[in-house]
Amino acid sequence: MAGAPLHEIGPAATGYEASALGFSLALAASWAGPAGIFWAGEEAAFSEEGAPYPVGLAQYGVALDKLIVIRAKKREQALWAAEQALAAPRAVVICALGAHGKPLDLKASRRLLLFAERSHSRCLLLQPANGPSAAWTRWSISPAESNAPDDELGPPSFVAELTRNRAGPSGARFTLDWNAHDRRFAQRALVGDLSAALVDGSADPIRARAG
Amino acid sequence: MTAGSHNARWLAIYLPRLSTDRLIRSGRAPADDRPLATYTKEAGAFQLTGVDARASALGLRLAMSLADARAIQPKLEAVEAEPEEDARALDNIAAWCERFTPIVVLDPPEGLFLDITGCPHLFGGEEALRKLIVTHLNAQGFTVRAAVAGTPGAAWAFARYARKQTLSLAERVAAKQRGEGRSNKQAPGRLNAPHPPPPAPRGGGGEDLRATLSPLPIEALRLEPDAAAFIRRFGLKTIGQLTEIPRSSFTARGGEHAMLHLDQALGRVPEVLTPRRPPPMVFALRRFLEPIFTADAVLEVAQVLCEDAAPKLELRGVGMLAAELVLFGVDGRDRILPINVSRPLRDVKALMRLFREKLNVVGENLNAEFGFEAARLDAVRTAPIEERARALVSLEEAAAGAEKISEIVDILSSRLGGKRVLRPQLHEEHAPERAAGWRSALGKEKKKAPEKKPPADSVMRRPVRLYAPAQAIEVMAGVPDGPPIRFRWRRVTREVVRSEGPERIAGDWQKREMTRDYYRVEDKQGRRYWLYREGLYGESEEKPRWYVHGLFA
Repeated sequence: MAGAPLHEIGPAATGYEASALGFSLALAASWAGPAGIFWAGEEAAFSEEGAPYPVGLAQYGVALDKLIVIRAKKREQALWAAEQALAAPRAVVICALGAHGKPLDLKASRRLLLFAERSHSRCLLLQPANGPSAAWTRWSISPAESNAPDDELGPPSFVAELTRNRAGPSGARFTLDWNAHDRRFAQRALVGDLSAALVDGSADPIRARAG
Repeated sequence: MTAGSHNARWLAIYLPRLSTDRLIRSGRAPADDRPLATYTKEAGAFQLTGVDARASALGLRLAMSLADARAIQPKLEAVEAEPEEDARALDNIAAWCERFTPIVVLDPPEGLFLDITGCPHLFGGEEALRKLIVTHLNAQGFTVRAAVAGTPGAAWAFARYARKQTLSLAERVAAKQRGEGRSNKQAPGRLNAPHPPPPAPRGGGGEDLRATLSPLPIEALRLEPDAAAFIRRFGLKTIGQLTEIPRSSFTARGGEHAMLHLDQALGRVPEVLTPRRPPPMVFALRRFLEPIFTADAVLEVAQVLCEDAAPKLELRGVGMLAAELVLFGVDGRDRILPINVSRPLRDVKALMRLFREKLNVVGENLNAEFGFEAARLDAVRTAPIEERARALVSLEEAAAGAEKISEIVDILSSRLGGKRVLRPQLHEEHAPERAAGWRSALGKEKKKAPEKKPPADSVMRRPVRLYAPAQAIEVMAGVPDGPPIRFRWRRVTREVVRSEGPERIAGDWQKREMTRDYYRVEDKQGRRYWLYREGLYGESEEKPRWYVHGLFA
C-alpha cells in the first residue's frame, strides 16, 4: 500500500535542475519494481536540459529494460501521459515539467494523486515552480560537494530540504550520497531534524508511510 | 489472389468510354455539340482510341484512322490520348470501389474486378450492389457496364457482351438457393453475417455458366487479337461452339490460350489475380443508410466493426498489430485512422480505447464534409496470440502487469505518436553520442542488450543527460593540455574545484572526427559536468575547442 503516492521535487535555485532530476531518478530507481519507471517530460525541458542518456542512466541504477520515456510536445500532453502511466500497477512515474508556464494547479496535482492512489503507483512531480499542491512532500534540491578525496569526484550527492510535509514537520535538511550500486541513499551530514532521517530508507518519511 | 473457390462471386466493371468520359468530366469537351474522340499515333498513322457517344452514333469506330474519321465527320474534336491520365482515373475508381470490398483488381485499360464474395448482403444483394455501382459511376459521368458471376472471366464476358447484365435465370436460381437477393436491412451489431451455406453442388460445377456463356462471341473470353483470329479461322464464332469441339484439335499456341481462358471462365481452372492493395487477413465492412458525420458516430461504427472482427481474429488465433479504420466519404475521398500496438490485440474494449484516443486527436479534423457512407476495419498486420497457461498466481500477476504496461504504451503512442513513446537502447559504439539511442516502445527489441550494472563505487563515468550537439564553452586551462580551471557556459562563469580525466576517446577517422579528451569536473556549487577538448594540444595550428557534452545529476 503506497501511503504517499505523490511527491514534488524542485531545484533549490535556478541552475540546479540537474540535481533535482538526479534526486528524482534516484528515488525512482530505489522504488522501481517489476512495473518499472515512466518518465514523461516536455520536449522543451528535454532540449533545454539535454536529452536522457541511457548509458548514464544505467550507471545511475535505472534498469533500462524497465524504462519508458515520453517526450511530449506540450505541457498538457506530458501531464496527460503521466496520468495514463500511473494506471500501471506499482509503477513509478516521473512527471517533469519545464520552467516555462505556470506551476501545476491544485486540481491537476489532485488528479495525479487520484490516479496514483487508484493503482498503487507513485508519482514524482518534478517542477521548478512551487505552487499549491496535493503532494505529500516537497523537496528542494541542491547539489552537494563530492564526498571524496581532493581532486576526485564521488558518487552523486545532494542537499535535500523537505520544504513541505503533510505527514509531519518540515524544514529538515539532509546531505545525501546516492549509492547507485545498491540503489539507496546514504546520509552524510546531519543538519536539523534527526527523526526524519533518510538512512537506508528505514526512517524515510516517504517509505515510512508505505505500509 | 486465387479466384476459383466454389462460392466466389466476382463483379466485373467495364468502362467502355473511359478516355472520353474523363475528358468531358474535366471540362475539356467541346463546348458545342461536336463529337469527341481521342487518338494516338500507331505505326505512323493516327488512330482513334476512344469515341464518345455522339461520335459513336455518327458511325465513328475505334482503330479508325483520324483522316477517315475527319472525312466522315469534319466537326470532330480530336484530342491526343493520355494513357497515364486514363490509368489514374481507373485507379481512382478502383479506390472508390474499395468501400464495397477490400479486394479490387485493376484490369487495364478500362476494367476492374471486385471480389464481392460474402459482401452483397451488406448492400441488399448482388443486383442491388451492381446497380449501386453503375448508378454512382453514371452520376459521375462514366459510361459503365457491370456484371456478376462466379468467375472473373465470366463476369468480364457478361459485362462486355451480354445483352442484359442482370443475372441469368440459371444464376438467379442459384443465388436464391444461396439465400441472397433478399433485401437485407442491416441488423445493428451484425456486419458480415456468416457466409450463407454453399449451394448443393451443381451439375458439373458450372453448368449454368456454360449455358450462359455459350451464345457469346469468342472474344468474350478475353482473347488476344491473334488468338481470336486463329479461332475464327476454324469457323468458330461463339463460346458454345468452342466448348463442343474436341480439345485435341487445339494444340497451337492460340488455341491453348483460348482453352485456358475458357476453363478459367467456366471455373474449371483457378485464375490468379493481384489486388490493387494486398487484402487484409481479416476485415469488417459496413455501409450506412444515412451518411455519418460526428466522431461519436464514427466511434459507434468502430465498435461494431471491432466486435465483428474479433471472432474472425479469434478463429485464426491472432490479434492485430496494426489496424486501419477506413472511412469512405460520400465525396469519394477516404480518411484512414491507423492504430499500431505493441502486442497483438483483439479485445474490443482495448481496441476501442485506442480508437477513442485517435479520434480525440483527429477530432475536429475529421473533415466529414459530406459525411461518410461506409467504413471498413482492416487488420493490416496480425500476429498469433499465445494463450498463456494459467499456472502460477505471481506469474499471472506479472503478466497482467506487463499486459497493462503494453496497453498504456499503446494508448500513449496512439495519441502522441510512436516517436514520442520510447525505450532506451545501447549500441556497441565508441562515440558517446552513438553509444545509445531510443526506439519506439511499440516495437520489439531486436536483440537484448546486456544489462548494465551500476559501478561498484557508485561513481558516475557517464552523464544522465547528453547535449546533442555538444555546447561550445570558453575555457581557461591551467596548462594547455590539462583540465580547465574555469569555464564560461550560458553566460555564467563556473569555477572548477575538482576534475578527473582525461578520458581519451578516439574519433571515427572515416568521419574525420577528431580525438576528444573528456574531463568530469565539479564546480564550486557541486554541479558536475562532462566536458571535452576537441583535438589534441599541438595537433593543429588552431587552439583546441571545448564543449559541454553532458550533465551529471
